Amino acid sequence: MKKLNFGIISYAHPHALRYASTIAQSRRAKLCAISGDGANSDVAKGEAKKYGAKFYKNYEDLLKNKNVEAVYIAIETYRHKEVAIRAAEEGKHILLEKPIALTLEDADEVIKAAEKNDVKLMLPFNPRFTEPLIKAKGMIKAGEIGALEYIHAISENVKPPIFLQGLDMSWFLDINKSGGGGFMDTAPHGIDSLLWLTKSVPKKVFADIGAKIYGFPVDDIGTAVLEFKNGILAVLTAGWGNPKGYSYGLEIKYYLVGREGFLDVRTAYPDFTVYQDRAEKIYWDRPDVRGIVGSFVTAVLKDKDVPISGEDAKKNLAIILAAYESSRKGKVVHIDL
Amino acid sequence: MKELKIGVVGCGNIFNLAHKPALKNIESIKVIACADIDGERAREGAKAFNAKAFQSLDEFLDLDFDVVEVLTPTYAHAEIAIKALKAGKHVIVEKPIALTTEEAEKMVQTAEKEELKLFVGHVRRFDKRWVQMKDVIRKRNILPMHIRKREVQNLPFPAHYWYWDENKSGGVALDLGVHVTDFLRWFFESEPLEVLGTGKAIKEEAKSNDTFDHFIMVVKFEGGKTGIAEVSWAYPYPSRYGVFYHHVDIIGKNGRIRYTPLDTPVVGVAKANFEMPRFSPLLSTFPDAFERELRHFFECIKKDIEPKVTAEDALIALEIAEKAKESARKGEVVRL
Repeated sequence: MKKLNFGIISYAHPHALRYASTIAQSRRAKLCAISGDGANSDVAKGEAKKYGAKFYKNYEDLLKNKNVEAVYIAIETYRHKEVAIRAAEEGKHILLEKPIALTLEDADEVIKAAEKNDVKLMLPFNPRFTEPLIKAKGMIKAGEIGALEYIHAISENVKPPIFLQGLDMSWFLDINKSGGGGFMDTAPHGIDSLLWLTKSVPKKVFADIGAKIYGFPVDDIGTAVLEFKNGILAVLTAGWGNPKGYSYGLEIKYYLVGREGFLDVRTAYPDFTVYQDRAEKIYWDRPDVRGIVGSFVTAVLKDKDVPISGEDAKKNLAIILAAYESSRKGKVVHIDL
Repeated sequence: MKELKIGVVGCGNIFNLAHKPALKNIESIKVIACADIDGERAREGAKAFNAKAFQSLDEFLDLDFDVVEVLTPTYAHAEIAIKALKAGKHVIVEKPIALTTEEAEKMVQTAEKEELKLFVGHVRRFDKRWVQMKDVIRKRNILPMHIRKREVQNLPFPAHYWYWDENKSGGVALDLGVHVTDFLRWFFESEPLEVLGTGKAIKEEAKSNDTFDHFIMVVKFEGGKTGIAEVSWAYPYPSRYGVFYHHVDIIGKNGRIRYTPLDTPVVGVAKANFEMPRFSPLLSTFPDAFERELRHFFECIKKDIEPKVTAEDALIALEIAEKAKESARKGEVVRL
């Protein structure tokens, strides 16, 4: 069976750990190169050794490796554009960590570069690859709760520097590198789910996003009220508001209200909990990451459309940026999508 | 201390389900009169206390007693409360304090002028869950910055019932809304600055009455605190069980508290043929909360002391909800 040769560019985003293990375990993909650009270069190097992948200090050298057919880019967000465009120019298919870029203009450049060089570009929004949400989507489609009227989506994570020990995540707290704090980090997942579940786009957003909890230089919690074109109303709460001892850890939840039923979707990833001095959740499987990698590999190998395109990710970013604008101005912002 | 004599106006749902059982349990008072525009209901109510029944409010108020409990639909609160105060009675009125802040202000002014007590039944402040939660927040210095509270149900009344009439109940934004706006202010211990409201008509009962049955508020408070209220009469729960569902999420500088009665399944499905967890049919709190509330109010009257929740608190709770409705109409944030 043909295997897709993957390179991972940077371990700045901690998701690289999960993608590396998923790619390495995949029967249809091979992890053959890792570059250590940006934060956590040492971790990248150690991982290369662990997986028997070739290590490069910088991504330019990795891109010159003809063996590499596709890259997963987990570099700091402000470098997404630069790296993705170069990857496209070198003919590599691209799985790009979210958010796609810092601005819509940059997103456009990334999308154009992928089109021009005829490479696949996919963005990973995890929840739609989780089993409970897939089940819920199926139930809605089957009419089991009647017309969808209201969604409360929760995409909340724990305080990031505590979340992963041994990783330098300080760039998440630098707005010039990350584009925003907890809301920028976690809200895109909720937004993607809302777009997917409603099959519509919002026309208005009101948001309140701020540095409320930890005293970080970036926001740590945010709430957005979204009115969709098809009449569905949604509230999204996102951020890093979960304290260390919060037994739910990462929390991806949806309350879906239909005219004739209510779905309560929770616990996105299968886990068990270890109790010592503190409680720790261990996610023993990540079907979402498997689903993302699997669908990307299929799209590349069989030349099919990716499930989440650059355009989808740009739309997502437009909504996130509109939410930030609303919060800054304290006003309702109209979105034209 | 002499026994307080009580008269009740409005012998409908909230009387029968909540106040009647509570009043019966309180030893230090005596219900001596029950009034209702429906004579049959007045007689039913009076029978439970061996009290006198009235159809006429004026005749009822001519009687010599200490406290009037106003348990009528919201639109009648102000007129009856003001009359009762002018007739020299202390007043305990169900929430919302009134249909409009204008009316509520008149009630507060009348009570001040007459030097009588005016208490509003914000029963959440006497509910064990929230009282203990508030206590834990204080003791553990949680410092809440972000509170979401959901109070939702499938309102089991038909379209012609007064709840569905904006001009009688103020709609769900007011009727359940004031519970949550008061809760937020109580928990934040801050004053509200501005509010965004947005609503939907989901059930036919709401559509045909041109009112919302599902309403969201984002209330910004002093100190960067934000409250998110979701109130609904349209949650598709089986109404015959009268399920009322609360959900609270509090995120603070030093921790997080959450409360939800639905916390086990991966995909929980509530459909008409399922029975959901419930504690009290048709009630949004425990019966003992009403009793604790009334005992507290009676004690405040007897000892002439300030209550845990004042008429001014109720007025501000109403003001937030009223401004949220205005915001929903305008599609823009409204300052308080």
